[in-house]
Amino acid sequence: MAVAISSATGVLSLLNEEDDALRLYALQVLNKLVHEFWFQVASSIASVEAFYEDEEFGHRDLAALVASKVFYHLGELDDALSYALGAGALFDLSERSEYVETILARCIDSYIEQRQKAAEDKSSPEVDPRLTAIVERMFDRCTQDAQYEQAIGIALESRRLDRLEQIVTAAPDQVHLLAYSLDICNRLVVSRDFRQEVLRLLIRLYEAASIPDWVNICQCLMFLDDPQKVAHILDRLLKGSQDDCLLAYQICFDLFENEMQSFVLQVAEKLDSLAPPPPPQPAAAAAAPAANGDAPAVPTPSAPAATDNGAADGASAMETDDAGKAPEAGSAPAATEPTAAAAPAPAPEESEEVKSHRARLADVKRILAGSLPIALHLEFLYSHNHADLQILKNMKGAIEARNSVCHAAVIFANAIMHSGTTIDTFLRENLDWLSRATNWSKFSATAGLGVIHRGHLSSGRSLLAPYLPTQGASASPFSEGGALYALGLIHANHGQDIRSFLLDCLRSASHEVVQHGACLGLGLAALGSNDEELFEDLKSVLYTDSAIAGEAAGYALGLLCVGSATDKATELLAYAHDTQHEKIIRGLAMGLAMIMYGREEGAETLIEQMSRDQDPILRYGGMYTIGLAYRGTSNNGAIQKLLHFAVSDVSDNVRRAAVTCLGFVLMNNPAQCPRIVALLAESYNPHVRYGAALAVGLACSASGLPAAQRLLEPLMKDAVDFVRQGALIASALVLMQQPESKVAGFRKQIEKLVADKHEEVMCRMGAILAAGILDAGGRNVAAALRSPAGHFRRTAVLGLAMFAQYWFWYPLSYFFSLALRPTALIGLDSTLRTPQFEVTCQARPSLFAYPPPVTTESGKDVAKIPQAVLSTTARAKDKAKRKAAEKEATEGDKMDTGDKTPASGEAEAMETDEKAGEGAASAEAGAKPAAAPEASSFQMANPSRVLPDQEKFIRFKTPAARFAPMKRHAAAGFVVLKDSQPDKPVEYTSTAGPASGPGSQPAPTPAAPPAAAQNGNTAEDDEPPPPEPFEYVPSS
Amino acid sequence: MGIAEAGKDSGQFKAAISRKDYTSAKRLLSKLKLHLTEMSGLPPMLEQTSTASEELQLARDVLEHGVLLSAQMDDERGFENNYMQLRPYYLDARSLMPPSQQEGTLTGLNLLRLLVQNRIAEFHTELELIPPQAQQDKCIQQIVQLEQRLMEGAYNKVLEARQHIPHPVYSHFMDKLLNTVQDEVAGCSEQAYDQLSLAEAQKMMFLTSSKQMEEYATEHGWQVNGSTIKFHPSDEAAQSSLGSAELISHSMIYARELERIV
Repeated sequence: MAVAISSATGVLSLLNEEDDALRLYALQVLNKLVHEFWFQVASSIASVEAFYEDEEFGHRDLAALVASKVFYHLGELDDALSYALGAGALFDLSERSEYVETILARCIDSYIEQRQKAAEDKSSPEVDPRLTAIVERMFDRCTQDAQYEQAIGIALESRRLDRLEQIVTAAPDQVHLLAYSLDICNRLVVSRDFRQEVLRLLIRLYEAASIPDWVNICQCLMFLDDPQKVAHILDRLLKGSQDDCLLAYQICFDLFENEMQSFVLQVAEKLDSLAPPPPPQPAAAAAAPAANGDAPAVPTPSAPAATDNGAADGASAMETDDAGKAPEAGSAPAATEPTAAAAPAPAPEESEEVKSHRARLADVKRILAGSLPIALHLEFLYSHNHADLQILKNMKGAIEARNSVCHAAVIFANAIMHSGTTIDTFLRENLDWLSRATNWSKFSATAGLGVIHRGHLSSGRSLLAPYLPTQGASASPFSEGGALYALGLIHANHGQDIRSFLLDCLRSASHEVVQHGACLGLGLAALGSNDEELFEDLKSVLYTDSAIAGEAAGYALGLLCVGSATDKATELLAYAHDTQHEKIIRGLAMGLAMIMYGREEGAETLIEQMSRDQDPILRYGGMYTIGLAYRGTSNNGAIQKLLHFAVSDVSDNVRRAAVTCLGFVLMNNPAQCPRIVALLAESYNPHVRYGAALAVGLACSASGLPAAQRLLEPLMKDAVDFVRQGALIASALVLMQQPESKVAGFRKQIEKLVADKHEEVMCRMGAILAAGILDAGGRNVAAALRSPAGHFRRTAVLGLAMFAQYWFWYPLSYFFSLALRPTALIGLDSTLRTPQFEVTCQARPSLFAYPPPVTTESGKDVAKIPQAVLSTTARAKDKAKRKAAEKEATEGDKMDTGDKTPASGEAEAMETDEKAGEGAASAEAGAKPAAAPEASSFQMANPSRVLPDQEKFIRFKTPAARFAPMKRHAAAGFVVLKDSQPDKPVEYTSTAGPASGPGSQPAPTPAAPPAAAQNGNTAEDDEPPPPEPFEYVPSS
Repeated sequence: MGIAEAGKDSGQFKAAISRKDYTSAKRLLSKLKLHLTEMSGLPPMLEQTSTASEELQLARDVLEHGVLLSAQMDDERGFENNYMQLRPYYLDARSLMPPSQQEGTLTGLNLLRLLVQNRIAEFHTELELIPPQAQQDKCIQQIVQLEQRLMEGAYNKVLEARQHIPHPVYSHFMDKLLNTVQDEVAGCSEQAYDQLSLAEAQKMMFLTSSKQMEEYATEHGWQVNGSTIKFHPSDEAAQSSLGSAELISHSMIYARELERIV
C-alpha cells in the first residue's frame, strides 16, 4: 500500500539542524515537495532565505530555487524571479511546468523592461546578466521548438536586433516571418527611432532572401523615408523581365495608396535621374521627363490623364500625345513579341530596350504621380455609383425652407454622397432650391462641387470656371472663395499643376472671403509639400490680421508643412499669442497640430507649450497636437495626457478636443477605443460625451465594431442635441461600408429624425450629415485611415481632424472627403488597363449587396440607371431579385452555363460575356435551392466593390484563371495581374476604353445650356451639360 | 552504511542517554540522522523496500529517544525539531509498523510543550491530527484535561496537576507551565484592573514573596507605589488631539476632486 506523507514539517525541521549535510538533504527533499507543501515551507521561508544569504553554505543555488518556488506560490513573482535567477543553472527552462512558464514570462517581462529603460536612458544600470542568460536560453529554446513568432516578438520587445536577425535567418519560412516582423513592428513598436532601426534590419534581411520581396522592401523604405533606394529598386525592376515590371507597377500602386505625396514625388524625381538620357523624341512626349526640374508631377499627369480621361477639351492634346505615345503604349504589353515595325523610332537598334524601358518608366510615373490611379478610382466611382437620389429628395422635402443649417447640411450630404463620382444630377435638378444658399452657405455649396468632382484633375479647373475669380466683373466673393476651396479639394494631395493658379488668385484677391478660399485651396493642393514660396505668401496673409483670411491661412500653413515639425512653428505660436482674433488663433492652433503630425516624441516640446497655455484655444490646439503627433500609436503617455485634460480642463472646448483626440491616438487599435472612452461617454459634461462619440467614430471608422455601436446607441438618445449630433455622425462613420443588414436600422433612425419637425435643429443636421456619410461616394467609399498596407493615410487623418472643426466653421466639414477611399478591387494587366476577369467571393451574395433603393411613389432613383457596363454590383442585386422571383427559370440558365464552362463546376465567366456571367451567378444561386435558399459564393467582375468585411472572402481562381495577382493576399485596392496567356487577346471592361471613361462626361464646355439636364438620368449621356452656375440666380 | 551499523550506533546513543552523557548523545544523534537520510523506506520517500519496516522502527526509536533527550536537556527548540521529525512516523507511517510504546507519552509531552509555549491554536491542530485510538492514551487525556482547565481559568487545578505527572520527563515542562499560567493571569489583570494591591496580586499570580512580586511587576513595566500596583502608568499622557491641518487638507482634496468629477 502506497503511503504519502501529509505534511512537510518533518523535513522542515531538518533545516534547523546544525549539520550542513542534513540541511542539504532537507533542501533536496523540499525542492521536490515544495509544490505540494509550499504553505508549510512558506512559514519557514526565512531560514531558506538565510541559507541563500549565507556565503558559507555550499548549496545556495538550491536554497534559492526552493525559495523561488515558494514565492511563486505566494504570488510574489518579483521575489520568485530574483531567487530563480539566484538558482542559476538549477532553474530548468525546459521543464514544462506552470512554475517555469510563469517565471519565464516574468523574466522576459522584466528583461524587456530593463532593456527598454537602458535604450532610452543611457545612464541606467546595465541589464542583469543573469536575466540576459535566461532570455538567451529562452531564444534558443524557441528556435529549437520552431516557435519563431514568439521569439521574434520577444526580440523586438527587448530590442535585440541581433537576435531578430539570427532567428529570421535560421527559420525555414523566412518570407512569412519577415512579413510578420514587419507587421508587428509597424503596429506594436512604440519608439519611433527603434522602429526605424528594425525597418532597416528588415530591409537588409528582405534583400538577402533568395527572392526578395520587393513590395515589402519598398514599404519599409517608405517608412524610413528613403526615396533614393526605392527609386533604385524600381529602376532595377523596370529593366528586368515582364514580371518584374508588373511588380514595379504593383509597388507603385502601393506607394500611391499610402498617400505620402512628397515621398512619392521624390521617388519619381530620382527615377528620372536614373533613367538613361533621353534620345531625341517627338516634342510632346519628350517634354514630360525633361521638364521635371521643379515640378515633377506636372507633365506626367496632364499627358496620360488626357489619354485616359479623354477630356473633350483636351482632345487635340490627346491626339498629339497619342502620336508620341503610341509606340510606348504598344511596346509595354507586347514586350514579348517585338513590334519594332510599329515603332517608328529614330534609333531602332538601341530603342527596343530603351524604349520599352522608357514606356515602363512613363507608366510608373503615371502611377506615382497619381494620375492613373486617381483616374481609375474616378472611373470606378462613376460607373458603380449607387447613391440613392431619393434619400436626398426626401431630406430636401423634409426640411423647412427657412432653415439654413439643415439646408447646408443637405448640400453637404449630397456632396459627400457623390464624392468623386462627378455626378451632380441633384444639384442640377434643384437649382432654385440651391440658390437659397447665401453668403457662407454659398461658399460651402460651391466647395461641395469640389468634393463631387474630387480627383477630376484634368478638368477640375474648367468645371469650376464659372465660379472662379476672373479679371473684371466678379460674381460673388463667396462663390469665388468656395470655388478656390473646391479646386483645392479636387486636387488635394496632387496639386502641382493647380498650385500656380491658386497662388495667383491668392495674390490678387483683395476680399477676405476669397482669400479664405484661396488659402484653404492652396493648403490642400500643396499638402505636405513644404513649399517655401507658398509659406511666405500664406504668412503674409496671416499677418494682415484679418480674422477670416487669417484663420484659413493658419489651417493652410499647417496643411502645407504637415508632419515637418518645422522650426517656423515657434514663429506661428508667437503670432497666435500676439493676435486678438480668436479665429486666427484657432487656425494657427490647428495648423501647429498638423505640423507635428506623426512626430510622436518630437512634438513633446510644442505639446507642453500649448497644453499649458493660458489661452483655451491654444490648449485646444495642444490636444489636437497630441492626437495628431501620436496618431495611431496607442501611446500610453499620450492617452494619459488626453484623459487628464479631458477631466480637468476648465474649458469645455479643450475637454471635447481631448476626448476626440483619443480617437486619433487609438486609431491603430479600434477595439480598444470604446473601452477607453466608455466612462467618458457617461460624463455629466455634454462636451465630453460628444467628444467620446466622435472619438469612437474616428477610431472605429468603417469597422462596424459592435462595441462601438453599443457605446453610441445611448448617446443617440442623449438629452443634449449636439451630443445626439455627434453620436449620429460617429455611428455613420462606424457603419460606413458595412453589410446592409447591420446598417438598415440606423438608416431608418436617420430617416425618422430628418422627417421629425419637432426634433432640434442640431440633431437633424447631424442626421443629415450622417446620411451623407453613410452613403458616401455612391456607397463605394469608406473613411479609411490606413492604406491596405497598414500605413496611416496622412491625408485621411488630416481630413478627419479638419472635419471635426466643423463645430466652429461649417465649410470645414468638406474636408471629410479627404478621408474617403474607394473600397474597390481594381485589377490591372500589364497595359495598366482593367481586363475582364472575375474573382470569387465566398459568401452569400445578399450579404454584401448594395442596399435596395428607397421606394416612394415616384420610384425613380439613380440606382436604376441602365448602365450597360455595370457589372457585378448590379448583378448581385439582379441576382437577389431574380432568385426571389423565378427560381425555376434558373434551371435553364444553369444548363446554359454548363455548356460554356465544362471544365469547372464553378462558372468561370471571364471570357464569356456579361449575360453568361449573370447566368453563372444565378445558376449557382439556383443550383441548390433545397438545401440553401442562397448561393454560398458568387463571382465579381473586375472593378468591383469589396467591403472591408468582404476582403477575407475574396479568392482568385488561381491557377485555373488566366490572370493571377502579383502580390499575395491581394483582396482590395489596386491589384496588378499577371497574364498567363499573353498571346490571347485581352478583353477589357468597356469603361476602360479611353474614349468612354467617365472623364469624358462632365468635362466639356461649361457654357452648355442647363436645359439639357432636364431628364434625370443625364449621367450616361455622352455629353451632358455641366451644372448650372447657380450663383447667377439672385439670392433670395 | 547498512541498517546494522545504524542499529549499533542507536544502541550507543541510548546508552549515552541513560548515562546522561548528553554531549556525546547529541553527537550520536546527528550522526544517526545522517544515516536515516540515506534510508529510502523512511518519510518523506516511504519507498516499500524489503528493509522498510526495520528501518522505520529503527528510525522511530532513534527519534523518540532524540525527543526524550532534548526534553531532558530542557531544550525546547531541539524538542520541537526532533518531534517534528518524529511525527510522520506516528501519522503517515503509522500503518507500516507496530505501534510504539512511547507514542502516548511523547505525544502528550508535545502537547504539553505547546501549552507551555501558550500556542493554543497549534495545540488543537495537533490534537486533531492524533488518531482516535491514540487519543485514549492516559497521558494525552491528562494533558487535554489540563488544557481545558487552563482555558476555563481554573489555574489552581492546573497547579494541582503538577502532583500527578504521568512520566518523569513531564516535570520539566510542568514547571514551565507555572510561568505560562502566571503570564496569563498577569495579562488578564492588566485588562481587568487599573490598580491592585501588592498582596492580592501576589496571591493571584502564585508568587511566594512580595519581593518576587515586585520584580515581576517591574518586568512587565507596572508601577509599584508602596503596596499597590498601577498597571497603566503612562495612560494619562496619551491624549490624542485631532490633527486640524490634516482635516483641512482632506477637505481641500475633496473640494478639488469634486471640481473635476467627470
